[in-house]
Amino acid sequence: MDRIDPRARWIFSFAFLLSATMFWNPAFLLLFFLLAVTWYLLGRTRWKETRRGWLLVGFMLFTMIVINTIITGGGAGGVVPPGGHVLWPAGFTIPLVNWQIYFGLTVERLWFAICQLMRLGGVSLIFVLIPYTMDPRAYGATFRGLAMPDSVAYTMELSFRFIPTLGRDLAVTLDAQKARGYELEKFKGGIFQKIARIAPLLVPVTMNAIIASEDVANAMDLRCFGQAKRTWIYPLRYHWWDHALIAFSALMLLGSVVAVHIFNAGGFWVPDWFMRLFV
Amino acid sequence: MIDENSRPLVIENLSFRYNSRKEPAIQEINLSVNPGEVMLIAGSSGCGKTTLMRCVNGLIPNAYHGDLDGGIRLYGQSVLDMEMAEISQKVGTILQDPERQILGTYVLNDVAFGLESLGLPRDEILLRVDQALERMGILHLRDRETFGTSGGEKQKIALAGVLAMNPKILLLDEPLASLDPASAHEALQIFRQLADEGLSVVIVEHRVEDVFAIEPERVVYMDEGQITYQGGREGLMQVVDYTRIKLPAEVVFTRAKNDPPPEFEPAVVKTEDNSEELVKFDGVHFRYDEDLPFVLEDINFTIKKGDIIAILGHNGSGKTTMVKHALGLLKPTKGVVLLEGQETKTITIATAAKSVGYVFQSPSQMLFAPTVADELAFGPKNLGYSKDEVRDNVQWAIQTVNLSDEMESPPLALSFGQQKRISIAAILAMRSRLLMMDEPTAGQDYWNYRSFMDSILQMPGFEAIVFITHDLDLALTYANRIIILYDGQIVADDAPEEILLDEDQLIKYRILPTSLLRLNKLHLPETGSFFRAETLAHKIG
Amino acid sequence: MTEKKKSIWRFGTREVVYAAIGAALYAVLGYATNMLQLPGAGNVAIRPAVVVPMFFGIAFGPIVGFITGFVGNVLSDLLSGWGFWFWWDLGNGLMGFIPGLIAAQIVDYRATKSMVMGVVFVVLAAIGGMGVASVSEMWVSGADINTVVFANFIPASMSNIINGVILLPILMVAYAAVSKRSGRT
Repeated sequence: MDRIDPRARWIFSFAFLLSATMFWNPAFLLLFFLLAVTWYLLGRTRWKETRRGWLLVGFMLFTMIVINTIITGGGAGGVVPPGGHVLWPAGFTIPLVNWQIYFGLTVERLWFAICQLMRLGGVSLIFVLIPYTMDPRAYGATFRGLAMPDSVAYTMELSFRFIPTLGRDLAVTLDAQKARGYELEKFKGGIFQKIARIAPLLVPVTMNAIIASEDVANAMDLRCFGQAKRTWIYPLRYHWWDHALIAFSALMLLGSVVAVHIFNAGGFWVPDWFMRLFV
Repeated sequence: MIDENSRPLVIENLSFRYNSRKEPAIQEINLSVNPGEVMLIAGSSGCGKTTLMRCVNGLIPNAYHGDLDGGIRLYGQSVLDMEMAEISQKVGTILQDPERQILGTYVLNDVAFGLESLGLPRDEILLRVDQALERMGILHLRDRETFGTSGGEKQKIALAGVLAMNPKILLLDEPLASLDPASAHEALQIFRQLADEGLSVVIVEHRVEDVFAIEPERVVYMDEGQITYQGGREGLMQVVDYTRIKLPAEVVFTRAKNDPPPEFEPAVVKTEDNSEELVKFDGVHFRYDEDLPFVLEDINFTIKKGDIIAILGHNGSGKTTMVKHALGLLKPTKGVVLLEGQETKTITIATAAKSVGYVFQSPSQMLFAPTVADELAFGPKNLGYSKDEVRDNVQWAIQTVNLSDEMESPPLALSFGQQKRISIAAILAMRSRLLMMDEPTAGQDYWNYRSFMDSILQMPGFEAIVFITHDLDLALTYANRIIILYDGQIVADDAPEEILLDEDQLIKYRILPTSLLRLNKLHLPETGSFFRAETLAHKIG
Repeated sequence: MTEKKKSIWRFGTREVVYAAIGAALYAVLGYATNMLQLPGAGNVAIRPAVVVPMFFGIAFGPIVGFITGFVGNVLSDLLSGWGFWFWWDLGNGLMGFIPGLIAAQIVDYRATKSMVMGVVFVVLAAIGGMGVASVSEMWVSGADINTVVFANFIPASMSNIINGVILLPILMVAYAAVSKRSGRT
């Protein structure tokens, strides 16, 4: 992965997002999913470092798929035709409010959940990977390389620079306010008071950052920021494989458009073998 | 005679007024600089020196707008006819706070910034970056992250970034402000070396005594936007107000004889029967993490009623870490800290704050309320004082710091010096018994910080005061006890007259002896104690 | 005196710095308040950081606001190790962009009129930003409109509205005191 130019990686990632999300056809989704798994393995990340990312994705997939699609039957909106083979008919009433919930888990909806898992899982594989395989120094040059103006691309780079500084400022302010008896843990009152109690932290850090920005802007002007077309010293070079990857991305996107809009191959269907498992 | 067109910088009849102000910031400035010279521009805050620098480096009129009169010429060419890109390759500027000047996450990227902006070819940039880093002696930092570097290193990085653009003139805005004495000394040597290499070095600084160490060829003194003195070093020492600008102690000593003696009576006084221990450190060790080395090792000392303690030590010696333990912001890894007899591990910081008030370096790190009254009420409210108590405490605190008129003003709109006082009042309002201050003089000029310290030490309300400082003179003028920290250990703890006598010892602990210390040592047999130069002048025949 | 009319579409050095600092601030505050585990109430999470893009939009214009929200969210997810979620980044960007549209109208940050306008646009921003993000979620995950409205849109926009409406005026009052300090025009 290190040898693939970051610009090519971004192009591929976005082409993948656009392509995969055109389909509900399980055959294509499987193909995309396998492609994503291969790509993810190329990144050679360790489970320990990506665990936090997957925790979030896991939670998202759980709410999307288990709660919304399987339990409440909401998620399959517009894709799964109404009706179908009911697996587990049930209706129950939520206590206290007396809301009646009726739903029937159908085979179709269960299969849809699997398709959703492949589609969302594929997209997640591609996008969770980015921060773990991208050198923070490369962001500015990469976005410049993807046709953003110098000033906007540089903003990203400058942001990285200020993260540790502001992190330290926040810690100092927290200590300074604690010394005045401020206790984060003891927030009393309703939601409004609770949120307002963050002001002693928020205000000094924000205002300090704004005051400091005058000096930073001066320092940049004094070193000719925006005076000429910027050179980005981060080395970015396309190799043949990068061109191949970009070509592949373009083909994937084009192929998907053709498959979905001309051959109408994007649609959802349930394979017979799956149906036979239940019916 | 040097031809006017070959002079790096000539300023003639320069005046400037910012659009947002009514009064001009600088008026009728005339000066010129030769190659290879160091020029010192001295003056207190608000004297117009920063504005003058902005006129030279092009920030005026490119980023700041207003009415400009007169001429500024670089090698005969008017700055007003030049683009920023052109000016920046002739004039390099180092701003006061190197932290804010550093633009790159990594040293390499920071030093390359200007060259990248100019759009030079990549290979040339890398070459020039390496050359600049080498020139500053920090090539080994090239691939380091800028965030973790020390203050002295940050300044060298900023210098390298400017030097990479090959300027002929170097403007330095209070370059010593954020450095400890050892780093400041090193920085000054670098400035002299750069001048010797042919650059014109202009240093704007109120720490006149320090800059004199590298013998600037020309000295300019500014006051209220005008140049009131221009000439050699000796002349300056006779004309400027020694309460505004810090001059060598012997000079003040001689000159102060003719003026009335200063009045100073500290409110915190040591008495014999004062044995009450406010804070006690007992075998305190501290490290942030098990894998990391100890930052504090076997710290033992007590703070008693009547103590005015200065904590001295080099950057990274553990001063702030130690002081944070007294309040319980950090808890010892080993050993105990007792606050009025209670272990800090067993009480909340809010409880501790009733005994210990801790003022951080910069007031803007804590000011947040819409009015001064709200700001001052914040602490006592947190500590659970009743409404009446809060009101009374706030009233008393604001009167003590002499800012009663500003009760309804937004603290963020006040001047730095006023904010500093508000931050003390915020602690006063909590009725803390012990006041601790981290670098109380940071960001203030000589006159301001002296009057600040004078008033804090003379105000009633605290039973003991502890302050962290780099400034040896501050310690020996105000403290009745000095603690020296070196590499996380207390290496000395006694009255100033006892521990500051051995200069070799001090240098070993990276504390540089000053002219005031030497003057005091000279007269110690007669005085028996250390004083500021003005007081000394009247104590000695 | 300076001309009061400011172009909200300018993106010079000053704006680059505001945007970069705003984004870093949004990321750090977002990350820190996640870590602090502030006690929430019911469905409304205490996410005070959302006020940062809104305020930067109002103070410095829509481009600064957008970048603060967009890049800030990218960085915050990066710090938390959550990967890159383009459509939520876009939604966060809009939360800074929309209030930025009234940047030129706000001169006195303490005036009641400014506060009211600010608060109204914070509400619009939360609805617009989270609306776009939620609709995109529908497109990516294939969820239906009900799910997206109840699972994503309502909780996210409500929480952002409440946090923004409470904290924006506090920041505006503070900024009124600070804004006159800079001589750069």
